[in-house]
Amino acid sequence: MPPMNPLLTRRSVLAGLGFTGAALLTGCTSAVSLQAGSPANETSKGGTLRAGIGQDLIPGNFFTNSNSGITTLIGLVYEGLIRYPNDRVAPTPRLATSWQMSADGRALTLTLRQGVTFHTGRPFTSKDVEFSLRTYAEPVWNGQLRSTAAAITSYDTSDPQKVVLHLAHPLGNIFDLLDTVPIVDSETFDGVGTGRQYVGTGPFRFVSWTPNSQLRFAKNPKYWQPGLPYLDNVNVSVVPDPTSLTSQLRSGQIDYAYGNSYLDIEQLAATKRFTKHQLAGAEQQIYVGTNITAPALSDIRVRQAIAYAIDRERIMSEVFRNSGYAVNLPWPKYSNAYDANKNTTYALDTAKASALVKEYGKPIAEIPLAYSAQVPLYRQTAQIVQANLQAVGIPVTLDPLDGAQFVKRLIGAEFPGMWTTFHSWAQYTPSTLTVSAYPFNAAKNSSHYSSAQYSSDATQAWQVADGGSEEAVGHYGRLSDDLLSALFLIEIGVVQPQWVTSNRLRGVSYTKRQELDLTRAALSV
Amino acid sequence: MIRYLVRRLPSLAMVLGAASLLIFGVIRLIPGDPASILAGPDAGPDTIAAIRHELGLDQSLPAQYAHWLGGVLTWNLGRSYIIGGDISSLLGAGAGNTVLLTSASLVIAVAVAVIAGPLWASTRRPWLEHLLTGVNTLAIALPAFVTGVLLILLLGVLLPVLPSGGVPPDGLLADPTITVQYLLMPATCLALPLAAVLARYLAESLRTEMSQPYVATALAAGVSRRRIVTRHALRNVLPTSLTVLGLQIGTLLGGAVLVETVFAWPGLGQLIEQAIIMRDYPVVQVLLLLSVGVFVVIQLLTDVVHALLDPRIRLGGAR
Repeated sequence: MPPMNPLLTRRSVLAGLGFTGAALLTGCTSAVSLQAGSPANETSKGGTLRAGIGQDLIPGNFFTNSNSGITTLIGLVYEGLIRYPNDRVAPTPRLATSWQMSADGRALTLTLRQGVTFHTGRPFTSKDVEFSLRTYAEPVWNGQLRSTAAAITSYDTSDPQKVVLHLAHPLGNIFDLLDTVPIVDSETFDGVGTGRQYVGTGPFRFVSWTPNSQLRFAKNPKYWQPGLPYLDNVNVSVVPDPTSLTSQLRSGQIDYAYGNSYLDIEQLAATKRFTKHQLAGAEQQIYVGTNITAPALSDIRVRQAIAYAIDRERIMSEVFRNSGYAVNLPWPKYSNAYDANKNTTYALDTAKASALVKEYGKPIAEIPLAYSAQVPLYRQTAQIVQANLQAVGIPVTLDPLDGAQFVKRLIGAEFPGMWTTFHSWAQYTPSTLTVSAYPFNAAKNSSHYSSAQYSSDATQAWQVADGGSEEAVGHYGRLSDDLLSALFLIEIGVVQPQWVTSNRLRGVSYTKRQELDLTRAALSV
Repeated sequence: MIRYLVRRLPSLAMVLGAASLLIFGVIRLIPGDPASILAGPDAGPDTIAAIRHELGLDQSLPAQYAHWLGGVLTWNLGRSYIIGGDISSLLGAGAGNTVLLTSASLVIAVAVAVIAGPLWASTRRPWLEHLLTGVNTLAIALPAFVTGVLLILLLGVLLPVLPSGGVPPDGLLADPTITVQYLLMPATCLALPLAAVLARYLAESLRTEMSQPYVATALAAGVSRRRIVTRHALRNVLPTSLTVLGLQIGTLLGGAVLVETVFAWPGLGQLIEQAIIMRDYPVVQVLLLLSVGVFVVIQLLTDVVHALLDPRIRLGGAR
């Protein structure tokens, strides 16, 4: 028998294990038991929700709804004047209780809710509406509905409980603006840009932000809806790695997550311990953009061939796990611009696509397809598009770009061929898309597309007094025709983002901009 | 010695000045800019122009450089374009977390190496030697993001005994026993490759040491192997092992970038990763210049120690 290792006697091993075990059992409180969160009492009120999000707050993006840090903050701390239900574009009261549009569509009178105070205790008045809308219109804040906000020429705030918005021309999407803009406190607004102070009228007040780490919120005890919210505190951790986010959910460290992959959410939901929230009504659209001045892409037959060749159903199924549906136009099914017939104009038809390429007749050089490499969904989409187009004789080179570089090229209209990414704003009044989302902008866009007809149709759709009227729907139909005939942007699908929560969290809701609404959320034991 | 230090100062200032210029220029050569990031994909060129003006990016490059350098020289590090807060505060918070993480990793790595190295060197059981060799090879070969995920799955999800990531909700200082539990997994993950390298080096050094004549004499005199290893051989090989440890600390800091991301630990690694992705020029500039500064100071300290140990260097410098 070999001699015993001097450092590994049975006695020393047992002593070590015993010491470690004793230390673990008696030495300290378990972080895991604490992380289960404060259980709610019998009435399911109170407690602290621990949440996780994939992206940190970016103060400069306050008005853009562009990442989960911002949408979480705005959903908890702020409110708008009206709110659209998620399944339609029809205003319901929020901080404004009623409204009246003048006959000529150029003055909107809003009656404000009484008894609402900011988290500082200051009463909410019509001056705050003016300050919020004027601030939103400043270019530096990049509010996507800035053109609509800028069309408000003056404000009548003589009555603290009433505000009259005077418009340069009728605005069919004015309620989109009122739904989108959070009402901010003018006295503390300087703190917004630096991330120090966020004061609104919402159900939770901002407590602190530790960059790259966490956001903390506490219940607003003076919230205007009596008895709400139920939760006492919300602690939101920033977890940039999607795998870690999923692990934290699985281990019970958090009860809400925004930033997991579609596949992870599908697997979590299959365990029955978690609930998948598919954000219908808060959609984004995945699309392929084209530079219509590029060789081959300048010919409509090649763009049509691309539109026929893309297997949209496969992309929606494999990449987005059926969280949405294939489309030819940006509009979601509940939109009054949605037309089922037009939406199948470019249904998958590889024979027709190949014929169009043949009809084009010239050799097609490799077309670069750019995407942001930091988002796996874009890579997967680009790979399927590449395979689809190569099958019909359109050679494609994938061009993965760093996120910052991608955005710079998109805004600078610098793509030499095609690109794929998301756009949003089609879930609102259809005219909002064409006046607010840069890729669709009639005056200047990433595709170098310009058309007097498209510009005219976009302007007319925007300047109707009632964005839901028959007249407006007629304009939207013409806009759809413009988009289908020009094909400078080739839509793939309407994608519904997903959240996941543990089954102990109930009552989670959201807005059309993916903002987190925990007003009626509660933790159950 | 003071004269020696004074003579070194101009060269140090030149190195830092050149580094500042290089850092400022190189980051601007990377395509993409912070205004685009802030504006987002739905923005138009007019918005980009407004944001560029707000951030001062529409000024000439020499003006931007002079403004930044002036701030650094007066310890006004400026504000982050993206996060919005003071860079000095961000730096303070991030550095504290990274120092805590790397210190804990260092402690774990040294502890593991000091136990495993002698064990490996002295064992005569083939299965134990194979086991230690296999574990050691895996610890060196597996990247931190793999061991991190495995540790999270094992200790955070399957056997939920430790938090899966993040920091204590009430802060690192509120309850040290909770903080230790949050720290244990990321620190172990970061420590593993270092511990493996150190243990391997220690084991090899100890094997060589144990073949020395004094060991045979001691064994013949009836001194136990344990006593020879712990009291004599280990002491003899520790100084050279410390050199290896020193060289590996840089690797530890590099590994912290990955580990901080996997475990959502808000340190400097995560800060610089985000800053580069978001083109947060002021933050990247300060962090890189700080790295150069730390390196320059370490070099200076090394030279000073050498000068203290070797009078010829000191005299040469003083002349």
